[in-house]
Amino acid sequence: MYIPSYYEFCCKVKTVAGHGTLERIPGLLEAMGARNPMIITDKGVSQAGLATIVINAIEDKISIGSVEDDVPPDSDLKVVNHIASIYKKKACDSIIAVGGGSVLDTAKGVNIVVSEDADDLMQFTGAGALKRELKPLIAVPTTAGTGSEVTLVAVIADHDNNRKMLFTSYFLLPDAAIIDPRMTLTLPVHIAAPTAMDAMTHAIEAYICLSKNPLSDAHALEAIEMISNNIMAVMEAPDDGDARLALGTAATLAGIAFSNSMVGMIHTLGHSVGSVCHVPHGTCMSILLPYGLEYNMHKVGDRIAELLFPLAGAKVYATTPRQERAQKCVQYTRDMNQKLYEATNGIHARNLKEITDRDQNPMVPQSKLPEIARTALGDGSIFYNPEALEYDDCLMVLTAAWQGEKLDQSKVRKG
Amino acid sequence: MEHFVEIKPGRKLLKRIFLSINLWFVGKAIQAAAKVDDEVKQEFDALPDGFTFSLGAFPNGPYMVVGKNEKGVVKYMGSKIDTVRLDMKMSLKSIECLFLLFTFQESTPVANSMDRLYVDGDIPHACSIVRIMDIVQVYLLPKFIAKLAIKRYPKWSLKRHTWNRLMVNLRAIAGF
Ligand SMILES: [Fe+2]
Repeated sequence: MYIPSYYEFCCKVKTVAGHGTLERIPGLLEAMGARNPMIITDKGVSQAGLATIVINAIEDKISIGSVEDDVPPDSDLKVVNHIASIYKKKACDSIIAVGGGSVLDTAKGVNIVVSEDADDLMQFTGAGALKRELKPLIAVPTTAGTGSEVTLVAVIADHDNNRKMLFTSYFLLPDAAIIDPRMTLTLPVHIAAPTAMDAMTHAIEAYICLSKNPLSDAHALEAIEMISNNIMAVMEAPDDGDARLALGTAATLAGIAFSNSMVGMIHTLGHSVGSVCHVPHGTCMSILLPYGLEYNMHKVGDRIAELLFPLAGAKVYATTPRQERAQKCVQYTRDMNQKLYEATNGIHARNLKEITDRDQNPMVPQSKLPEIARTALGDGSIFYNPEALEYDDCLMVLTAAWQGEKLDQSKVRKG
Repeated sequence: MEHFVEIKPGRKLLKRIFLSINLWFVGKAIQAAAKVDDEVKQEFDALPDGFTFSLGAFPNGPYMVVGKNEKGVVKYMGSKIDTVRLDMKMSLKSIECLFLLFTFQESTPVANSMDRLYVDGDIPHACSIVRIMDIVQVYLLPKFIAKLAIKRYPKWSLKRHTWNRLMVNLRAIAGF
């Protein structure tokens, strides 16, 4: 057990998880003095009928001020300011965010603007710009992956100036997270697989990276075990509500873990593949996970070895010799990707060259790897990774992940 | 906020002086390394002209300010943060955190990652500055201490380890 000489841990999000928990929303809002919530969601979520499920569950107990489903796949500054103006016009007093990462980010951005009674989010950039509680915000995640329902950041893109702004404050934490399996029951398996692996990566990186602490560790270990035990159940029976609930709960656990200990190079490289080639985040995570473990093996092999227990269970852990556990853990994540590949009829990519868009065109040409490596050097998560990463290191890992070959651990530069 | 009696005011003043001297020297060394070391030069070249940043302890300092002027020349700009326009502020959460950092009681990467560093500015720029600081630390510190301060001690050429090191230290002391 590693106990740092100093650490902070904060999770003040009330979590309401279980079957039929959407119906609790009016009561929760009422307790916070809110009567006229705005629902923020996106087109995909509303077309899947999820917004309707939420509305049906609450409308006889509370009036809904407005339903906004205009959130783009990538949160946008103008959209935030626009939704904030509608919020004010319709005299809303709280927000229910129904969706994945970008909906949550947008809702957090809107909440800053309306709570501070401003009209432009840009007034609140920079550390310490937020000084008081915001309006009530309830998060209803629909993906079981991002963990945004328990994180204190909001990433908003300013597309006009081609940059991403990061807002970080404990005030951005939602007041409550509702984990209701009805929200993920219809999520197709080829999306459920990578999003669950995103959550898995949050937990694993939280456990092996530099900012780990005993409180985040506890959340991470439980999350890994729950995902490992339930991911194939969902693949085999997508309508298994209990397994969906387990994945949703695990994503929240993993979110609590990584927002209190941060993530490392798997996210560093994954963010960059995502921003250069527009690959969905979870897909990048699944592919890069084994490589992030291999690259850091010489620094944190003991921590990786410990992960074999929640990942593979007591029996495998006990029958694997101590010095082989870390490598076995890497192999286990590769095997998981293989099983997910088979369960999704080959849609779940196992390496970067296998990723295709809807028209079956490859999304990550090998010629883009240098650009991805350069982009990675500007990602803040690089500092939380146990081993240093320079341009050549990023390129080496990306090349192996592109080919789908194991990382040659003897080539990893050591200090 | 006032602390309890364990910390005597005298010690706090000493800490302040110690840190001010350290920051002053690191600032000077960054200026020197920008002239002597190719990698540091490259990192600064990638930053916009006129880019100015500070490093110090929140909220009352001490601080150091380093900036790149319109011609791309990197200069140590003193210890005052309120008289210059800053593009980026990097601050340790308190003077105690900064002290831990400069006395190597904890490795820099661990300290950086333990919720102690506030960054106010563009993250990619902050990444450049941290890489520059890593290189400067290798120049200023003996290997066995530098190993605590950075994640991976670099394999440099003999010239970089000897001549460049000498030049960075001389220039920092002499201030040119
Ligand atoms: Fe993620």
